[in-house]
Amino acid sequence: MKTDLAPPAQQEQRQALITPWGVYAAWRRNARVYQATWLVNSLPPLSEPLIYLVAFGYGLTPLVGEVSYNGQTIDYLKFLAPGMMAIGVLFQSYTEGAYASYLRLDYQKTWHAILTTPLTFSEVFTGELLWAATKGTIAALATGILAVIWGLMSLGNVLLSIPLILLGSITFGAVGLLTAGLVRTIDQVNVPLFLFIVPMFTLCGTYFPRDTLPSPLFEVASALPLAALADLLRWPLGLPDYWPWALLWLLGWAIACTGFAWRTIYPRLFR
Amino acid sequence: MVLVADDLWKTYGDRSVVQGVSFSLAAGEVLGFLGANGAGKTTTVGMLYGAVVPSRGRVTVEGFNVQTQGRRARQIMGVVTQEDNLDPDFSVFDNLRYFASFYGITGRAAQQRASELLAQVGLEDYPKHRVDQLSGGLKRRLVLARALINQPRLVFLDEPTTGLDPDARQDFWRLVTELKQAGCGVLLTTHYMDEAQRLCDRLLLLQNGQVINSGTPLDLIHRTIGEEVIEVDGFQEDQLQPLLTQFQTWGRPVGVHYLIAVPPQGGDELWEYLSHRHPIGLSRRRANLEDVFLRLTGHTLDEN
Repeated sequence: MKTDLAPPAQQEQRQALITPWGVYAAWRRNARVYQATWLVNSLPPLSEPLIYLVAFGYGLTPLVGEVSYNGQTIDYLKFLAPGMMAIGVLFQSYTEGAYASYLRLDYQKTWHAILTTPLTFSEVFTGELLWAATKGTIAALATGILAVIWGLMSLGNVLLSIPLILLGSITFGAVGLLTAGLVRTIDQVNVPLFLFIVPMFTLCGTYFPRDTLPSPLFEVASALPLAALADLLRWPLGLPDYWPWALLWLLGWAIACTGFAWRTIYPRLFR
Repeated sequence: MVLVADDLWKTYGDRSVVQGVSFSLAAGEVLGFLGANGAGKTTTVGMLYGAVVPSRGRVTVEGFNVQTQGRRARQIMGVVTQEDNLDPDFSVFDNLRYFASFYGITGRAAQQRASELLAQVGLEDYPKHRVDQLSGGLKRRLVLARALINQPRLVFLDEPTTGLDPDARQDFWRLVTELKQAGCGVLLTTHYMDEAQRLCDRLLLLQNGQVINSGTPLDLIHRTIGEEVIEVDGFQEDQLQPLLTQFQTWGRPVGVHYLIAVPPQGGDELWEYLSHRHPIGLSRRRANLEDVFLRLTGHTLDEN
């Protein structure tokens, strides 16, 4: 039926920029893809920490034996396990945010397609961020469960670490999304990977206590977000005096990177 | 009106790519945007569904402001973008099923809707195929099916048949006609004149981001060119210019020949005159939108 009269303008109520349903729908899209190939997808978060724990555990323990951490002497593997959880968070969240989100943004145009539906940019962005965080959380928990089986941590301690794992996963997921927003080709993702992520992975006290590093390398490594996450995840071994600052610092990184990622991706979708 | 665009402008730096475009679209109407590449069609359509933020102006869909009430507006519309942005991570069926979830259609309802649409667009034999296994024509059908998942009352088709073979284009045209018959407002951008003439109830001609003329395809043809045109080959332009003045008509060179609008009075005389000079080539045919476009913009679509 043809209408000749224009309907009255709908009362311009402010629409919510973000709703739990919208975020869930965006997150769910990625979860469904993951679920379809769960066997292949579960390989990296399970195999990586297992390989690292076995390699470093058997390879370095005879050399290192025990380490001095936070004023106490502990088994190297007990020191290493929370560090491995932090690394799982770092790599899984970052690569999902940087590589996978970039592919969905630039190659597959998945974001563009979803944004023709009632979902808002904030919902799609948050869904992507939470999905990257989910990948990091899965990796950290898989590592934690291996550490529990190995007798390096208690299940309770792993479960109580979940809020920290989530915070770390959001932080590195946001770093990944910021990368996705900044780069123009998939190869460029390697730049922050090798200039930021890999140095952080090696220097931030995941494999060894940072206090063995010379100044100013120690100060630089301590300022990176993975250092704060590794320190906090070692809470069962004792927290350093500055832990509230470490927590705030990690939170600050999460907020800043999320904000910058939002600002870099938005103009790529809305001209 | 299902869609109203009011004084749309889009400026990048000091370059205005869309300048003061206004129009409306009724339910059951197919409105075509016709223009060369770079005329501002895709930018304008982007502003209509919210992907491009207007520098000035406003778009409403059934009264909902696309910029400030985008969620409500997009609930009503379906979009076929120029590029295929189907989800390669899902099968054909799941592309529809999971897209439905963005509209709050889930579970059995989503499955049922996906099945209906696959049948509607003739993809019922391909539900488990991966997207990259589909031909270009089948992909475009799937993109259209996806755009219809929410039973929209307004559909944007941005150059939907670019790159398709003639059969696939015919199939697509049939689907567009069905949408129109179902009362859906359709906005189509195209640079295929036959497509515009065949499908559109009304056309807006765009050049340099401005609407330079509008009307039904026949109205545009009759108003701008007339009933017929003559294509003549083997004359110099300076020989033909006095002829155009004499017969008070329009003509211009196109490639190797010269195109002349047959004037309402004296058309047969003009034809006789040209015939008696034994040109290399001479033919007379019905005027079409290509001629309209040439007269209004000064060039053919292919020249862009």
